[in-house]
Amino acid sequence: MREGLVGIDIDAKGDVVVARVTGELDIAGASRTGDRIAGSVPTSAAGLVVDFSDLEFIDSSGIAMLFGLARRLDSRRQRLRVVATPGGPVSRVLDIVEFERAAPVHSQPETAIADLE
Amino acid sequence: MPELFDLRVKARSLAYLFTAGAGLGLVTLAFPHDDEVRDLQLVVLAGIAVTIAGVVYVQADRVRAWHLHLALALGTLILTFANYYVGESSLYPLLYTFTALYAFYFFPLGTALAHVAFIAACYSVLLAIQEPASPVVRGLLAVGTPMVAGLLISRLLERVGLETGHAEQRERALRQSEARTRLVLDNAPDAFITTDSDGVILTWNVAAERMFGWTAAEAIGKPMRSLIIPPEFRERHNERRRELIEAEGTVAMQFYDMVLQRRNGERFDGEATVSRVVVGDEILLSGFLRDVTERQRRQEEREELLRAQVARAEAERVADMVSGTQVLVDAALQSASLEEILADLVAGLQRVLGVDAAAIFLAGEDERLRLGASSFGTPPASIEPIAVGDGIAGRVARSGEPLFVQDPDPADLRDPGVRRLKVDSLIAVPMRTGDTVIGVLEVCASPPHRFTADDLGMLRLAADRVALAIAHARVYEREHDVAVTLQRSLLPERLPELPGLEVAAEYLPAAAEPGVGGDWYDVIPIPGGAAGLVMGDVAGKGLAAASMVGRLRSALRAYALEGHDPAMVLQQLNRLVWADAGESQMVTLLYLVVDPAQGVARWVNAGHVPPLLVGGNGAPRFLEGSTSVPLGVLPFPSYDEVSVAMEPGSTIVLYTDGLIEVPGAHIDEGMSRLAQEVKSAPEEPKALCRYLLGHLVPERGASDDVALLTLRNVPLGDRFRVTFANSPESLASMRTLLRRWLRHAGGAEHEIAEITTACSEAATNAIEHAGSVEDAPFEVTGRIRDRDVDITVRDFGAWRTPRSGDQGRGLSLMRALMDTVDVTPTPEGTRVRLERALQGNGGPD
Repeated sequence: MREGLVGIDIDAKGDVVVARVTGELDIAGASRTGDRIAGSVPTSAAGLVVDFSDLEFIDSSGIAMLFGLARRLDSRRQRLRVVATPGGPVSRVLDIVEFERAAPVHSQPETAIADLE
Repeated sequence: MPELFDLRVKARSLAYLFTAGAGLGLVTLAFPHDDEVRDLQLVVLAGIAVTIAGVVYVQADRVRAWHLHLALALGTLILTFANYYVGESSLYPLLYTFTALYAFYFFPLGTALAHVAFIAACYSVLLAIQEPASPVVRGLLAVGTPMVAGLLISRLLERVGLETGHAEQRERALRQSEARTRLVLDNAPDAFITTDSDGVILTWNVAAERMFGWTAAEAIGKPMRSLIIPPEFRERHNERRRELIEAEGTVAMQFYDMVLQRRNGERFDGEATVSRVVVGDEILLSGFLRDVTERQRRQEEREELLRAQVARAEAERVADMVSGTQVLVDAALQSASLEEILADLVAGLQRVLGVDAAAIFLAGEDERLRLGASSFGTPPASIEPIAVGDGIAGRVARSGEPLFVQDPDPADLRDPGVRRLKVDSLIAVPMRTGDTVIGVLEVCASPPHRFTADDLGMLRLAADRVALAIAHARVYEREHDVAVTLQRSLLPERLPELPGLEVAAEYLPAAAEPGVGGDWYDVIPIPGGAAGLVMGDVAGKGLAAASMVGRLRSALRAYALEGHDPAMVLQQLNRLVWADAGESQMVTLLYLVVDPAQGVARWVNAGHVPPLLVGGNGAPRFLEGSTSVPLGVLPFPSYDEVSVAMEPGSTIVLYTDGLIEVPGAHIDEGMSRLAQEVKSAPEEPKALCRYLLGHLVPERGASDDVALLTLRNVPLGDRFRVTFANSPESLASMRTLLRRWLRHAGGAEHEIAEITTACSEAATNAIEHAGSVEDAPFEVTGRIRDRDVDITVRDFGAWRTPRSGDQGRGLSLMRALMDTVDVTPTPEGTRVRLERALQGNGGPD
């Protein structure tokens, strides 16, 4: 489904919920995207993979949404993994804000999912 | 030569002659004579003559002409024998003259001469026996005596006959004439009755028998009045009769209408022509009587027919007037506004009704009448409203009854045009719809015209028509107003600002067919910086078409904003139109999405005229590929999306067929004209639209509505300045614009992404700063010098100190991504200046 410019696909891989986010993530859709993803993670889930492989743009509001997700999952003792294409604009932003401090960033969704299983 | 005498007269005359002759012969016997035997012979001869006379007399009614000839010849022989027996001294030869006389008198000349010849022969024989004289003398005597005597005596008798014979002749002629007259009268259709001076019926013809039921035998001899005059009229009849009888001198024929009575008591209207006839000293009355009931019936029939003809002529005149009124009402309804309709109506009414002036006053809700239109073209506003009850129109409006005014008071004539006219008569009729008087129709006649009361009825009919027309016009105008308002509301009031794109649109309603067309266009900013262009045409006009446009417009906007592909958008719309089965609508629609960042236009065409692409460096070309059926035609049509490169500087032209319709020409001709005109047209969209309308739409106006929408992919140079709406949705557009510009400036992909991210952060701040200042736009200017990119984002709100780490993160992100970040708060707002030197693809940061 799409929220403005943002497309969100939620999928469950065993205990792991995979949220694939596409399009451009800015202030227009960030908070709704965060709520939507958080709401799709059951307490029973081991963790969440946010897949930004096909995300074309992210700004500070997207980053804020991601940090928010990390905090919510942490409080539920669930783990978060983020996937971003290395060298892409999203990777660049994640690097700048040092997102690695909050959660590991993978280059492939498969490794991220495997990491949580 | 007609026979003067009938056979009866001839026979009786013969009888008298023979009797006289016999008598004369017997008288001679009384004188002394010498032979007894002759006496006996003479007596026998006299007896024979008397016998013949008796037979002829008795059989006078049946006698034939040859009987008389035979009798006369016998008489001549008897005479000859008598003369022989008497002897030479006889006077009897004289009697031959009587015989000849008879022949001459009663027989035609030829027959008379034959008798004379026979007499002469007999006399000659007698002379030859009795007197041996010379044959010549004897011959002369035999012929001459009876001839001369006969002729002389007949001449003598003729004179006597003038008295006696003529009277007899006249009587005879009268009898014959009577017979003829009777014949005529009996066969006459009219009763012919003759009475004496006392009114006793003398003649009564067959028609009288038929008419009154009394036969002639019954009627003749009775007083006429007791037979045919009803009792109560008899006295009057008597008076008339007496007057007629006693009148002095000649009386002309009299005509009377009278009531007559048949034998069975039935009465009927009759007509009599009576003349007074004086016969000798007797005064007779003769009259023809006619039964006029039949004639009255015929007359009534004729009058009825005449009335019917008059009524039919009147009905036809009214029908003509009504149909004339209807025609003008229909014609008037073609006009766009009630004002024009009224003006058309009064002009038409003046013509159709043949009046000198016509005016329509309309009743308002404030109990006042206002001039709607006058055949003098008087501006309605120039006439003071008339209170209901005031003046002629006001009185009619109050009473609801028509008014017929002769020589109206000039003060009552409000229209200066009418006042100048010498108004002789005026009719004001109420115009009603149901029980409501919606206005007053006033018509005036000036000499030589003058209304009659008959015109009033006709005007009421006309007023009914006109009232209906006005009621319809009002409804129509309301609908029209609603539709116009609706359509205006459906066309974008203001086209959106599309960064890097210039759009302009024009809408030109048809001049010939005022109404609300189903043409519409729309420009939808699509998140991400693309622009959706819509050009559609709903078949039909009016409220229905306008509301369909409304529904399509909002549906299309919704689908487009959801980010659906053009093909999907049209499928959804088709479903909507198809589902509206009751309307049997057909819609042509072109939906085209311009993505300036990628320099691509993608479109789907549902039966619409193809858009025209005016390329940066190519000739104008119509984007004709893959046109599908219009919306609403098939339940599941396939809509294929087609795309074309849209270089910076190229322009796309969308239009409805009204722009290219040339009456009588094929649509291709209009299209090639458009392609031709575009070549010499200005590039700027607004100017382009006006140029195209000016060159393609005829001076008299478009025959159909024209919608025209142009979009130009503005080539971005080294500098740009774009204003964005204060909305998060503007961010994507701004980024699209920036990417295009940076690509144009030769930036590497990662540089483009980073600079765009930094600018987006600055713009996000600007949006948040605007805060309560609604609709305050923010402005982005870009400049590139050498390879230095210099971008400034300005807002017009109050700077707010970042409240959380998130927004602080935005600032640090900007700083990380750009060489220089300069934030300057000013009283008007905040200015963020971002600078970065491009490395190009040469080396990533």
